[in-house]
Amino acid sequence: MTAPFLDSGASALGAALGIGVAFGWCLERAGLGSARKLVGQFYLTDLTVFKVMFSAIVTAMLGAFWLGRLGMLDLSRVYVPETYLLPQLAGGATFGVGFALAGLCPGTSCVAAATGRIDGAAVVAGVFLGVLGTGVALPRLQSIYLATPRGVDTLPSALGVPYGVVVLGVVALALAGFVVAERIERLGDRGSGLGDRERPDDRVPSPDPRLTGAQRG
Amino acid sequence: MPNVVRRLLAAGAGALGVLAAVAGRPSPRVAALDVAGLAGEIERETDHVTALELAAWIRDRKPGLRVLDVRTDSAFAAYHVPSAEHAPLSSIASMKPADDETLVLYSEGGAHAAQAWVLLRSLGFRRVYFLRGGLLDWMEDVMSPAPGAPPEAAALSRYFGGVPRVGARPNESATADSTVARARRRGC
Repeated sequence: MTAPFLDSGASALGAALGIGVAFGWCLERAGLGSARKLVGQFYLTDLTVFKVMFSAIVTAMLGAFWLGRLGMLDLSRVYVPETYLLPQLAGGATFGVGFALAGLCPGTSCVAAATGRIDGAAVVAGVFLGVLGTGVALPRLQSIYLATPRGVDTLPSALGVPYGVVVLGVVALALAGFVVAERIERLGDRGSGLGDRERPDDRVPSPDPRLTGAQRG
Repeated sequence: MPNVVRRLLAAGAGALGVLAAVAGRPSPRVAALDVAGLAGEIERETDHVTALELAAWIRDRKPGLRVLDVRTDSAFAAYHVPSAEHAPLSSIASMKPADDETLVLYSEGGAHAAQAWVLLRSLGFRRVYFLRGGLLDWMEDVMSPAPGAPPEAAALSRYFGGVPRVGARPNESATADSTVARARRRGC
């Protein structure tokens, strides 16, 4: 018998809930329930989001590839969403703007709300309002939603290279990214007079260079 | 996390990545087909159009419409639906979806077109239909509609150079054999 074991029904929903809670716990333990820590990503002062998310991508990708290769996971039964190029690019840009404005994304807003942060609860309410509004407007947005379809597109099919080579490429990209991210963070810490061990998790990033200069003294 | 652990994890990920590049494919098929969704479309009969619907689309120059004949070269050369393109089944695999196109597939009786419909849906095509009853339904319903057919049928028939069977009575136009043959090729 190969995974995935649960296709639908209450047991699949229960498993999804369990995985969701575990995901939230991991986000919280990584400190991603704090909007201040998250917006550090945009000021290049704290790249935890990049590192956590890329670690998750690499772990899941290697796990899926090797479990599939060893015959323990049937990848043909894992749902791959269809690609709609322009709508998804627009969605990504909207997501980015919302992320920078709110300091939280949908997943981390749930974590923030669950840990009692008011800003997290506000973002969760905004997400639900947005989902509701989109649902109501969906019939009118149908043509936009379905524009530029590319079918089930994956990196191997889009690039025309074997799956394993894409896995190697993404791993190499992640490892190089981690090295660069750590260097950027160290540069930021030196600039603010903080060492590696002194960097607080909830440091308020300052977008204003004059303020940063004043802090440097 | 201590630096040693981080380096070990990075080395492990790197090693698994390098091995992945030479390990071959993880499973026979990577892309997934939404079988339940396709079954729903077939059940709701939103997977096909009738000959009269197709005729109206062609006459009205429906934007983005492409009519694809999946029969053999010789069959296509002998006769095809006006404006149809020849697209043998072997060419399906290389087709790419375009957002502004509506595809209608047809074959002689409909079976090959229905199979091509499944193939195109699995490639990510959304607005794709097959002609129910195939070219045989086209010949019967559009080129030679029987009395009792919808009023639009005679007008469409004349548009495409057909000859409506206006003189015959309804019970003369459909024998038991032809009714059974029609039901068989429609398959639903």
